[in-house]
Parts: sequence; structure tokens; C-alpha cells
Amino acid sequence: MQHPSFSPFRVAALAGNTFTGLVRLKVFYFLLLFALLLIGSSLFFARLSFQAEFQILKDVSLGAMNIFSSLLAIVATAQLIPRDLEERTIYPILAKPVARSEYLIGKLLGMLLLLALGILAMTALFLGLLFFREQILLGETTRSGLPPAQIAAAIASLKTSAFNLNLLPGILLIYLKAALLASLTLFVSTFASSNVFTSVTMVFVYFIGHLQATARTYWLQGHSSGWLAHTFLGLVALVFPDLQPFNLIDDVVAGTAIPLALFAKAAALGCVYTSVYLFFAWAAFHEREL
Amino acid sequence: MTNPAVTVRGLTKVFSLPFRRCRLIAVRDLNLEVARGQVYGLLGPNGSGKSTTLKIILGLVSPTKGKTQIFGRDSRELGSRTAVGFLPENPYFYKYLTGEETLLFFGKLSGLHGRGLQARTNELLALVRLEEARHRRLGGYSKGMLQRIGLAQALLPEPKLVVLDEPTAGVDPEGSREIRDLILDLKSRGITVLLSSHLLTQVQEICDHVSILSHGVIVREGRVENLLTIENQTELVLENATPEILAEIRGLLERSGTCLVEQRQPKTSLEQLFLEATRAKPSG
Repeated sequence: MQHPSFSPFRVAALAGNTFTGLVRLKVFYFLLLFALLLIGSSLFFARLSFQAEFQILKDVSLGAMNIFSSLLAIVATAQLIPRDLEERTIYPILAKPVARSEYLIGKLLGMLLLLALGILAMTALFLGLLFFREQILLGETTRSGLPPAQIAAAIASLKTSAFNLNLLPGILLIYLKAALLASLTLFVSTFASSNVFTSVTMVFVYFIGHLQATARTYWLQGHSSGWLAHTFLGLVALVFPDLQPFNLIDDVVAGTAIPLALFAKAAALGCVYTSVYLFFAWAAFHEREL
Repeated sequence: MTNPAVTVRGLTKVFSLPFRRCRLIAVRDLNLEVARGQVYGLLGPNGSGKSTTLKIILGLVSPTKGKTQIFGRDSRELGSRTAVGFLPENPYFYKYLTGEETLLFFGKLSGLHGRGLQARTNELLALVRLEEARHRRLGGYSKGMLQRIGLAQALLPEPKLVVLDEPTAGVDPEGSREIRDLILDLKSRGITVLLSSHLLTQVQEICDHVSILSHGVIVREGRVENLLTIENQTELVLENATPEILAEIRGLLERSGTCLVEQRQPKTSLEQLFLEATRAKPSG
């Protein structure tokens, strides 16, 4: 009987199990911290002008979403494979007709699902608070006793400062960056000797990823920009992902629309990096002795 | 011609130990064949190569040399494992899953789904007597219960070959007896069983064929009764024999020149004694 070498059902089972495992390990407790941070900052900055208050709320929220999702992607993914190897839970799985590629894809998809739900929950908290503060300020403005023309102008300004659709591509980029980091962490964990090694390596990669674009620009300005330099820099960009294109939070907070081309480039970069690192993970793992 | 359940030809496995700059030969030029329907025991001390051999057969480790086949298909092919159930040495399962979730998860990996999977899960939970613990997480299971859920997951795909790595390690005599009975039940249904163990009494009871490994090499191999029979000795077990009859038998043996090697009263096994003592309900 011919056995399919790749089955979406098996991958779904593995992804579901990974997701269940992470949820039952109570990784979602970080959401509580996120909520406290948001409410705290909202209460603290409520004394400022509403433009400043909304600006800071967006800044804090998107910054915290960025940090929390990146940290979750690194720390939670770092222990997926080493824990399966250490506790030997991988044996009964791979003794079934399950390909190692299915196992890796299932693990990554479970993690991506967790990240998606985490970011959705953080977005809901953030937008909920934004809406709540907007409603309070709208009520206060309406009852302020100012002339109707001034009230209308204040309300229009308030609505522009609160929610705008430009926030959503920014949040999507935060997710794609976390997905990229999860995939790279999965790759590192296939050959790393411990979770600590993986996490520390990833923290370095994270900083190099953010700094390399600046370093590259500087280097290309000061040196010849021949093919050798480009090849070398391309290799560096492959080993250490360029995370700068994902850092559009400042623009988003300022209410500037992210140009479609820039967003598409960053999104494509995120998808390509995630796929390439998954392939590297498979290459490192498919012949590994268990 | 039907292929044997398992074929191992010229199998060698060498592990490199890079930090010590040396190599470890775990298995050396191993050959064995497990016929369909047989209960085959791999015996040997720790580090003799039993687990490595099983892992290579299951495609978890790749051989350095030689090849292994399951029902004629190379072990490295994914499809060779469709009709195989495996119970690892210690119950290695996710502690955060309940008994039922564990079977559903492994069932999906075995290609089962929907009502068929649920029905098979219920059937196996009943078979291993874990129906009442189905909603409890595995973190709260005893070792015996984990071993039983492990057996249930191994039986999920209705396997033709079941591979058991130390199936009774750490299990109490009652649980051990249950596993033994289950193996005999599998055998009666024509399922091939390949197991590794160092509990020799148990292996003797259930295996048709054994191989004894030492330092990665098979040092003895054959049918159990052939290996254990001492060809030039005969054992008589008498019941209610009087001292006079025994004296007469000894005299007869002396006169005929036959050597009486040993005369003793048969003893029950400690396992049998334990089971009888613990099964009896306390009076009062």
C-alpha cells in the first residue's frame, strides 16, 4: 500500500498538539502582564492632552506587542524540539508513519497559531482600551459646554488620533517578525545542545538583525560596493535576518500610512525568511540521530 | 513467498563521540529474522545494542552498514511503519494530555480519524482498563497506567507487528502479568511481537524465539525450548512419593549406572506467590 509522504492531517494533528501543550503550559499568562502594562500606562498618561495620551498608548501597546511576541516566539519555540528529545516523547511519534518534515512543520504551525492568538488577544485588549478611552473623552468633550463648531472640530480631531486602519498592517508586520523568529529558533534548536544556548543565540541574532541594515549602509558607503561585498552582505543577511523592515511602529504610531510597496516588501521578506529557515531546520534534522 | 515480519541483514551501527575522539560500535554485523506470528525476544545486558537495533528497525536511527526491513519494505521508508505499533522503554508521552487525548493524537498520526478513531479509542481504553482514567492527564498516571496507555497507542493502527522495548520495566508483578497476557493475546491473533527485555523468566514464558546480544553481537539464537533443553538430562516430578519409593528409585538408578544429579522439592516462583498473596481478599 502506498503511504503518502506528506499528509496535512498528520501536520494538523502535530500542530494542534503543540498548541495544546503550549497553552497548558500557561504561556498566555504574559497577556495578563500586557493588560496591566496597558491599563497602567493609560491611567498614568490620562492627564496629558488626548493626542499625547493616544500616541503614548499606541506606542506602549505596539512596542509591548512587538517585545512580547518576539520573546514568546523565541522562548517557547526554543524548548519544543529539545524537550521532545530530552523527554523522548519524539520516539512514539516518529515510530508512526510520520515524516520528520511533517513533525517540524507541525511544530512551527502550532507555534504560529499560538502567536496569532496571542497577538489577536493583545490587539483586542489594545483596541478595547483605545475605544474605551475614546468614548470617555468624547463624552467629556460633548459635555464641555464649548460652542458646537469647536466641539465638532475637537471630536473630529479625537477620532483621528484614536483608532485608524494604519494600525492593522503594523500589527501584521509584528506577527510576521515573530513568525520569522520562531522559524529561525526552530532551526537553531535542531542542532543546539540546550534551550539556553538556543535562547541566547536568538537574542544575539535579534540584536544583529536590527543593527545589520545600519551597518550595511555604513559599510557600503565607506567601501567598494563590488559583487564580493554584495555577496558577503547577502550571506550575512541570510544568516542574520534583516529585522529593520519590520520596524515601522513609529510611522504607525504617528498615524502615517505604511506605503503598500514597503508593506508588501516586508511581508514577503517575512514569508521568505520563515520558509528558508524551516527548510534549514529540515536539512539539519532529517538525518539527525535520535 | 511472504516476507518475514522483520529482516535484519549485516547491521552495523557506529556512533561517533566527537569530544572523546573515538567511536562506539553499538551493533556489529547483526543478522536476524522474525517470522510472521512469532513472539521474538531480544535479550542482553544494558548497552548490548538491543534498543539501538529496535530503533534502526523503526527508522529512528540510520544504520552505518546493512539493512533492516519490515514485511519486505526498507525500514527507512515511511510506509514500512503503517502496520507497526511501538511501545518505548519508558512511557514517553505528553504529560499535559489526558489518556483519551493521547490515543486520539496518536490515532490521527496513524491515519485514523472521525468516528472510526473515537470507536477505536474507546475499544482500546476498555482493553487496557483505563476507561475511568480517560479524562485524567498523564502527569497523574502511575507507571503501570502509563505502560497500559502506551500499549493502547501501539495497538491503535491494528498493527501486524508490535515492537516492545522493555515492556514490563518498572511495572509491578500484577501489571507485568497483564502485559504478558496481552502479548499472548496478540500472538493468538496472529500479530508478530518483537520485544527486548532483561527479565528472563518472563521472556522464557512468552517468547518462541530469542537472540541474546552481548557487546552488539548475537551470542546465542534459537527457539526457546531448544536453547533451554539439556539434552542428556531428564526431570521427573512426583507427587506424594513415599520415602520407600524414592529409595527404590535411587537404588534402581544406582544399579543401572545412571547418575542422579539432583533431588529437590519443586518450588513455586516468587511472582506466583506474590500474585496469589495479593489477589486474596483480606478476611474480616
